[in-house]
Amino acid sequence: MEKPKEKDNRLEVWIAILIALVSLTTALATWRTASLGSKAGDLIYQGLLNAVKRQAAANEDWRRAYEEAGYARDYLVNLDGLIVQENSTDSASQEHAAQLRTYLLPGMESLATPLGKDPSYLTPEGWLNVQKRFDELEAQSSDLSSLDPLASFSQADTYYAEQRWLVLGTILITVSLFWLGLSQLSHLRSRILILVLGVFVYGIGLVWSLGVEFVFFILRGGVL
Amino acid sequence: MNKSDISNPERGKTLVLVLTLLNTVLIAAVSALQVDATIRANQANRDSQYYAVQFTGSLIQTGARSDYDLNTYSMLLTNTQEALVAEYTAMQRQNANDQQGFEALTLESQIYQARADRAGSLSFLMTDPAYAPASDQVLPNITAYLSDLNSYSLELVQKQNDASDAYHRWNNKSDSYVAVLTMLAIAFFLLGVAQMVQPSVRLLFSSFAIGVISIGILWTLILLVF
Repeated sequence: MEKPKEKDNRLEVWIAILIALVSLTTALATWRTASLGSKAGDLIYQGLLNAVKRQAAANEDWRRAYEEAGYARDYLVNLDGLIVQENSTDSASQEHAAQLRTYLLPGMESLATPLGKDPSYLTPEGWLNVQKRFDELEAQSSDLSSLDPLASFSQADTYYAEQRWLVLGTILITVSLFWLGLSQLSHLRSRILILVLGVFVYGIGLVWSLGVEFVFFILRGGVL
Repeated sequence: MNKSDISNPERGKTLVLVLTLLNTVLIAAVSALQVDATIRANQANRDSQYYAVQFTGSLIQTGARSDYDLNTYSMLLTNTQEALVAEYTAMQRQNANDQQGFEALTLESQIYQARADRAGSLSFLMTDPAYAPASDQVLPNITAYLSDLNSYSLELVQKQNDASDAYHRWNNKSDSYVAVLTMLAIAFFLLGVAQMVQPSVRLLFSSFAIGVISIGILWTLILLVF
C-alpha cells in the first residue's frame, strides 16, 4: 500500500505540471486579449485616417463645385445682359455686344463649363444644382471618396466585443491558477478539494475562451 | 506566543481562505469592469474625433455655400439698383428733351434688369419657398436660411461634445477601477501575510484586509452607480 507521504509528493508533481500548463494558458489568453484591443485600436486609427482623407477630398470637391457654380452664375448673368444688348436697335451697342461675345464670353464660358452650359444642371426651381456637380466630382475622386471609416469602426467594435468576452475567460483561467497554487500549499485533504475546484474553473475558462474565439471567427467571416 | 496560539496554530485560517476567495472574485469582476470601461472610453474617443472631422467638413461646406448664395443675392440687388438708377436717369433725360440719352439709359436699364432677373432665378434665397420673399417689398428670410444652414454643424458639435464627455467619464472610471484593483492587490498581500503569521496577529491582518476589501467594494459600487 502507498504511503500518504509518497502519495502527497506525487500529487505535488502533478499540481506543478498543471500550474505550468495553466500559467502558459493564462499567458496565451492575456496575449490574445491584449492583441484584440490592439487590433481594434489599429482599425480605429485606420478609420480615423480614412475619415480625414475622405473629408479632405469632400472639402476640396465642395470648394470646387461652388467655385464652378460662381463662374457659371457670372457667365449666365452676363450672357443675359449681352443678349439684351445684341437685340437692341442701337448699332453702337450691337457692335459692343459683338465684341464682348467674341473676346469676353469664350473665356467666361470655358470657366462656366459644365454648370453654366449644360441645362441638366438647372433645377426645376431655376437655381444651379451644385449637389449634382459635387456628386460627379466625388465620383471622379473615388479612390478617396470611397474610403469607408465606418466599416473600420464596425470591425473594431467586433474586436472590442470579443475582447470583452475573452476577458471573462482569461479571468477564470487566472482564478484557477490561484486555486492551483493554493492547493500546492495546502494539506492533503483540503488540497484535493481545492485542486478539483481549480481544474473545474480552468476547464470552464478554457472552454469559454475557445468558444468566444470560435464564435467571433465565424462572425468575422473567417478572420482571426 | 500565547497559549491558544500553541494549542491551535490553524485558528483563523478558514476565514483567511474565505476572504481570499472573495477577494479573487472581486478582482475578477473589477478587472472585467475595467476592461469594459476602457473599451467604452476608446469608442467614445473615436466617435469624438470622427465627429470633429465631420464638423470641419460641414463648416467648409456651409462656408462655401453661404458665400455663393449671398453673392448671388448680392448680384441681384446690385443689378436691380443699377437698373432702377438707369431708368430714373433715363426719365430725367427725357424730361430734359435728351432723346439720345433717354434711349441709351433705357437700354442700360434693360441690360441691368436682364442680369438682375437671371441672378434672381439663380438665387436660392429668392426661389426656395422656405426663404423666398412673399412680395417684391420684403427681403428673403435670411435668418431662417442661416439657421437651417448651420443646423447640421451645430448638431455635429453637440454629438462631438457628448462623445467627448462620454470619453472623459469612461476614462475616469477606468482609472478608478485600476485604483480599486491596486487596493484589492494590497488586500491579497495582507491576506498572504495573515496566512503566514501567528493566529493572534492573523486576525489583525485579516481585519486590515477586510477594511481594504470593504473600501474596494464601496468604491466599485459608487463607480457603478454614478
